[in-house]
Amino acid sequence: MSEPLIRMDNVSKFYGRIQALENVSFTVNEREIVGLLGDNGAGKSTLIKVLSGAVPLTSGSIYVRGKKVEMKSTTDAIAAGIETIYQDSALVTQLSIARNLFLGREPIKGPRFLNRMDDEMMNQVARDLLKQVGISKNIPPETPIGSLSGGERQAVAIARAMHFESDLIILDEPTNNLGVAETQGVLRFVRGARDSGHSCIFIAHNIHHVFQVVDRIVVMRRGKVVADDIDPKKTTVEAVERVITGMSDEELAHALGPNTH
Amino acid sequence: MLRRLIARPEFGPFILLALELFVFWAINPEFLSPLNIGNTLAFTVELGLIALAMTLLMTSGEFDLSVGSVFGFTPVLMWTFVNGGMMPMEIGFIIAIVTAALIGLVNGWFVTKLKIPSFLVTLGMLLVVRGTALFITNGFPQRTWDAGGHWLAEVLVGDFYVGPFRIYMSLFWFIAAVIILGYVLNRTRVGNWIQAAGGNPGAARARGVKVDRTKVALFILCSTLAGFAGIISSVRTSAANPNSGMGYELEVIAMVVIGGTALTGGRGTIIGTVLGIFILRVMRNGIVLIGVPGLAYNIFIGAIILGMMALHSWLERRHHAGT
Repeated sequence: MSEPLIRMDNVSKFYGRIQALENVSFTVNEREIVGLLGDNGAGKSTLIKVLSGAVPLTSGSIYVRGKKVEMKSTTDAIAAGIETIYQDSALVTQLSIARNLFLGREPIKGPRFLNRMDDEMMNQVARDLLKQVGISKNIPPETPIGSLSGGERQAVAIARAMHFESDLIILDEPTNNLGVAETQGVLRFVRGARDSGHSCIFIAHNIHHVFQVVDRIVVMRRGKVVADDIDPKKTTVEAVERVITGMSDEELAHALGPNTH
Repeated sequence: MLRRLIARPEFGPFILLALELFVFWAINPEFLSPLNIGNTLAFTVELGLIALAMTLLMTSGEFDLSVGSVFGFTPVLMWTFVNGGMMPMEIGFIIAIVTAALIGLVNGWFVTKLKIPSFLVTLGMLLVVRGTALFITNGFPQRTWDAGGHWLAEVLVGDFYVGPFRIYMSLFWFIAAVIILGYVLNRTRVGNWIQAAGGNPGAARARGVKVDRTKVALFILCSTLAGFAGIISSVRTSAANPNSGMGYELEVIAMVVIGGTALTGGRGTIIGTVLGIFILRVMRNGIVLIGVPGLAYNIFIGAIILGMMALHSWLERRHHAGT
């Protein structure tokens, strides 16, 4: 069997004396959407922060396509092909769509010492990307992000990850505070990302949203992975909710079938 | 088209400046005389140089209260060396400017590494720098008239006439700073980083933007231009007074915010700052010319700041509501 896209082996993380992650092993395969679920304090955010380079791990290893990588900063994660889209979309509301898309990797036009951004090229790419992620309204790429709706901002963040050929897109609560139509739009973007060859980790409190889009569900509780191969097609929302809140092994096996660890 | 024009942050300051010019000219036509224009420009561009650098720093979400002290200290340091015969004027100039840059570096280091708000760091630096200037001079001004005819003095602040207008070289330095800093803010990658650092530093960092390095560079720029402006002023007035530049920090910040740069960072405009500079300097000059007591100046400035803030806030809300 080929190497998974991402493999975390026995990753632990301490904040001072508090252990946020305990020997977590976790994989994401190519072209797979993994739903990461857990109650508040389960360790989801810490796991994502470690994977996105926002905080260093205490022990354990991370592999990308079988190759060990060091995640010392978000720049390392981006270089390894991992893009994280946070709740606030990590966008700058004052900047235009195009300038947000290329923030940190702006193309240069003319002599390098002039440091001049290629606005024309950025606007053209932004126009194409907006169409690609399904924003049907004719929004000029010069529009400030602050003028867009929540769903449109998520779409821009996803478009950015797709454009820069990120192998793994981590979506942290992307449907929070969105209306029904906008949520459906975001879920459509996520499926589109998978269809174009990207993998995703999808974190959401609303399990119904997770069920609509993911291939596999991983559940965390108290810093540990308690189930990592739940097939949303073969189980129910109620069963997964019981796993999140905690139950006995017998109850777990009964609720989820043989795939559960 | 008209709606887009009105929505621009520079629109309000532009109308205000036009109004000011018209009212002062209507009351006293001497206001637009070549002599008055030349005098106003000479001082305006010195303060303006600091305001331009402050625009970039404020766009990045920080500000610098020590610029007035650096404006006073840098020429004092330079002329202490030069008058004492320790070094030629060129070397004194370089050492003074490098010292100003180091003050900016220290400000930036405290703000970005120790995570202390720029208000507190630069307030402390304001006192340290002013105190140093007073200490090394015993509070007395340094003479600078030895500069007369020196090539560096001519380059910095030499004057010539264009028709009836007396033009100082400092005007060209100001124009160069407007062009270069306007280009940097609006057209370059660095400009994008400056706006991102002020708008959402977390997002900028997540994208690999070196937010701290950008801010430190802007603190250095601010202090350097404040020192440069101080030296220009000292040569023009033939005095390096350790007390000069007192209160400039607030006037400069007022110029920047009146022009439409957000005090909270993320949005800045060099053209707006140029308008803000002229709004305040024209006001100072104009109210004297039309006979209003100079002591009433601050009433007008305060009213302008409040009025422009209300206008910018209204335009901002209208802009977001309309989309």
